[in-house]
Amino acid sequence: MASIKGELEKIVGSQNVLTDEPTLKRYAQDQSFVQPRRPDMVVFVENVEQIQKIVRLANATRTPLVPYSSGKNLRGATIPDHGGIILNMSRMNAIIEVDRENLFAVIEPGVTYRQLQDALAPHGLRVMTPFGIVPERSVLTSYLERDPVLAAPSFEDGNALIMDTELVLPNGDLFRTGNWASGGRPGAPNGPIRNTIYRLWTGSQGTLGIMTKMAVQVSFIPADRKIFFIPFEHIADAVEPIRRIQRREIGTECFLLNRFNLAALFAQDWSVPNDIPAPPVRSEDFALLRQHLPPWVLIIVINGPMRRTQEKIAYEAEALQEVCDILNLELREALPHVPGAEQVIADELLRPWGILKKFNFKGSVHDLTFKTPLNNLPNVTEIVTNLALRYGYPESDIGMFVLPLERARALHVEIDLHCPSAECSERTMVKELWLTASGRLVDAGGYFDRPYGAWAPLMYGRAAQYTQMLRKLKAEMDPNNILNPGKLCFA
Amino acid sequence: MEKKKCIPAKLPPDIYKALEDIVGPEYISQDRAIVECYSKFSVDSGGTLKKHFKDPSNIPACVVLPGTTEEVQSIMRLCNRHGIKVIPFTNGMITFNGPTTPDPTVCIHVSRMNKVLEINEDTMTARLQAYADYAQLQAEAMKRGLWNGGSPLATTLCKLSSQSAFAGIWQTDHKYGTLSRNIVSIKLVTPTGDVLITGSDTVSGMETFWEYGPGPDLLSLVRGSGGTTGVITEIVVKLHAWPGGEALPEPPAGRPCIQTYMDAKYDTGPPPKRHKLLWVEFDDLETEIAALRKIGHAGIGAGLNATGVYNAYYCSQTQDLTLERVKNKFFPPYNLYVILQGTVSEAQIAYEENVVRDIIAEVGGTFLSDQYKPDVLYALAPWNLDCIRHVTGYRMNRHSYCGSNILGGPVDTVARKTREVWSKALNTFGETYITDRGGMDDTPFLYSSNHSGRFWLTEADVYPDMTKPELLQRGQALVICGIINTIADKYGPGANGLGVSIEPVTSFMPEVGPKAHLLFRKIRDVFDPNGICAPGRQIFSKAEYDAFPEEVLAGLNKMRQMHGLAPVVKGD
Repeated sequence: MASIKGELEKIVGSQNVLTDEPTLKRYAQDQSFVQPRRPDMVVFVENVEQIQKIVRLANATRTPLVPYSSGKNLRGATIPDHGGIILNMSRMNAIIEVDRENLFAVIEPGVTYRQLQDALAPHGLRVMTPFGIVPERSVLTSYLERDPVLAAPSFEDGNALIMDTELVLPNGDLFRTGNWASGGRPGAPNGPIRNTIYRLWTGSQGTLGIMTKMAVQVSFIPADRKIFFIPFEHIADAVEPIRRIQRREIGTECFLLNRFNLAALFAQDWSVPNDIPAPPVRSEDFALLRQHLPPWVLIIVINGPMRRTQEKIAYEAEALQEVCDILNLELREALPHVPGAEQVIADELLRPWGILKKFNFKGSVHDLTFKTPLNNLPNVTEIVTNLALRYGYPESDIGMFVLPLERARALHVEIDLHCPSAECSERTMVKELWLTASGRLVDAGGYFDRPYGAWAPLMYGRAAQYTQMLRKLKAEMDPNNILNPGKLCFA
Repeated sequence: MEKKKCIPAKLPPDIYKALEDIVGPEYISQDRAIVECYSKFSVDSGGTLKKHFKDPSNIPACVVLPGTTEEVQSIMRLCNRHGIKVIPFTNGMITFNGPTTPDPTVCIHVSRMNKVLEINEDTMTARLQAYADYAQLQAEAMKRGLWNGGSPLATTLCKLSSQSAFAGIWQTDHKYGTLSRNIVSIKLVTPTGDVLITGSDTVSGMETFWEYGPGPDLLSLVRGSGGTTGVITEIVVKLHAWPGGEALPEPPAGRPCIQTYMDAKYDTGPPPKRHKLLWVEFDDLETEIAALRKIGHAGIGAGLNATGVYNAYYCSQTQDLTLERVKNKFFPPYNLYVILQGTVSEAQIAYEENVVRDIIAEVGGTFLSDQYKPDVLYALAPWNLDCIRHVTGYRMNRHSYCGSNILGGPVDTVARKTREVWSKALNTFGETYITDRGGMDDTPFLYSSNHSGRFWLTEADVYPDMTKPELLQRGQALVICGIINTIADKYGPGANGLGVSIEPVTSFMPEVGPKAHLLFRKIRDVFDPNGICAPGRQIFSKAEYDAFPEEVLAGLNKMRQMHGLAPVVKGD
């Protein structure tokens, strides 16, 4: 490693190659249950050429290389399973271009959601953002890892948001997709040679290439919006309303929160912690809200564009009322016990990180994040609830977020389990519950399409041909297995 | 034309017998009269030229019709073991370069696998066998208040499995994207005979509802692969809400019989329920572009397109009428049409129409109506249904189709660029047919591929007379010239807004990617280590690259130099 360090220092300068113990320890773990492992060094890069040189050096020396953008993946994706080099791209944080006419922004890996949202606001634009995202999370990595955005119920506005991309292949060659493939201006996502080839690198956790630039779609901030709430006593009661609302293509954002997550979001005496995991903080608001809020609330957002704003909101609101009348549902424009709830939700639509206040509860949150058909929602919920009871985990401490995807063709489900961040019996119990629940959810049709950590064997163990093809591809593209080894189904 | 015999290659008898054992004697043939029918794709200029020049490599050695995925696996394993080349074949409407290879080739025709297997209303998906077409799918889905989001401009008889070989352009891409955005899963028999399933379906016991992963998305390697990764035996596609009723409306005069189809009254069906088409004409291209951009920004409509000279191809019932209308400029040279769809309610259509009318009032334009050019509006009626399901068939290609130059990007740049590129190509090689000038003196064919109008596709097509080899060759030169010009100006990957390109462009345009062909050569090796499946079609192996004819390379290099690109030297 000493000789590699010298070579790295020649590429990026000695001040950008870190090997001190506190630094290595910091990169060895995140708040997940993934086994910590220290890297051998951390290297800060500032441009693509440096990355290409480091990739070639890693190949020559067979050194593992872990791409790292903002380090805000909370599920162990950047923990170096085989040691090696952490390639820190957080200083590559330029917003290279905002094109208001053609509605895209060009960003580097270190650009965060907060940074991009702030930069777009003066243009009247927004980047579509996932619920509960850490504001310092890299937009590029988040899109690459297929974090679903709040607008995902809309087929048109909340999906397929990546346009042109640039990446360094495992052999150090540069590769571009979309219009960039020909060296031109961005503006179209297709090609080269295969129509949507950029998608190969999605969900790959940096194992097949290092993305260095991306054009992402941006959208106009609505001129106005109306937010509606529909409370439910039981989750099964929400299935048919979600189906009917989505099949009529009413609204853009639409999501379901359970009482725990609603209380965390609306608790005024909690703030979003600076670091995750966080020290636990008591909250009277949270305790009070948990007593009074409905068990489940479906939130529907109708956006009014710049043209004929109220006309659009009116016809969609009328259609929503029709659905509620048919199903005998109460459609509310406010939440009892939560004055100003609609404004909180409105703020979350642009900066949806208020729910991170949930980390104040115990300090650490372990999610079960998967996709499943709408009809399966009550089943998967019951599985986790029953398991929690068996493990002595209070049902009321389970947080849930449900997001319909593409008009409820599928659901994105996040079920949170809370525990202290330090090792203790409670944490051990939650870890066992989390692992058991993961397996049971897969048995019950929960699809972990982004198989982080312990979810990988659950998925690939049941997908022999897909796994075999991925391994062949990895061996052909990365014969020295330098890129983030040990992740997914790769050695 | 030189008189010579055209003798197709034969398979070794033991191989033929083994194939016969797999599918049964009634589903295999090497009879010359039968294999001849598979010797050319219907709009394939390369294949047609081979016929003109009596090139026997155009004719497959045999045709097999497997009935199941398992039979396809057995065929692939056999051919892979013996190094026999195979070509997947659906209904032969693809534009790739011929259904055969220089070696004895097995044509795998999947016509027996023609069922819509399942419509799942819960997950809004449809599972189809390889030979199921758009018409079958839509007929079944619409009964359930669902549809797949579009139909190809070519014909409703296109198979979704083979359309995925490119991207699958629809007139409703504005809302729904191309077919590429609407595939949930494929079942692919790879050249080694393995079955690869993509999406959630690949995990044992999981339902088919999500298109990605687990982890990296292998569907991205199959989509747009032009049949080079294997034989797709099943495809699962997304369905969307369909407010248009259980069946499409009939034209007032009813459906034509074969003798009467030339009468325009059979082409005048109204749009489906809760759909409305608005046609607008403009004085010039700049005004049209301004309107297209503003409507795109408004985020309304299911389709947003400008059709230009295609109106003459598409809405004229005879060839004579097409030519007459082009000559007389019957259709407005600058136009657009918006497809409005009331999925939320009828009020959605009223709202969206108001928005369009506001925009047209701002930029300047005139709606076609019963008061303004009613005869033109009447003549455009075929679009009313065909924007949803192309019930009237293969109008676009009633002459012959030789290829396209398709650019992708922002509306203003692609509209202007396609004119520039095409003008240069036409000025160099000359037209093959009157309609080749589409987009030069009127609007290029423009279709929005994103609901906010972020990116657009524009298309210029060549329609030579198929019976004239000189015109076919000129048509090919036009297309290649346009592609090279496009790449030289750093537009469009593979000179193709769809993102899909084929050889020889792929290997001899190393600027793209850069050197994308080297990566895709590796990918080809992963899927097809023995190079048996549609070899040479999309990516040359090193050996195929080295064997590429020098005289053709010289021609390509001449065009490269014409556009300021350095010549390609083999071995670089």
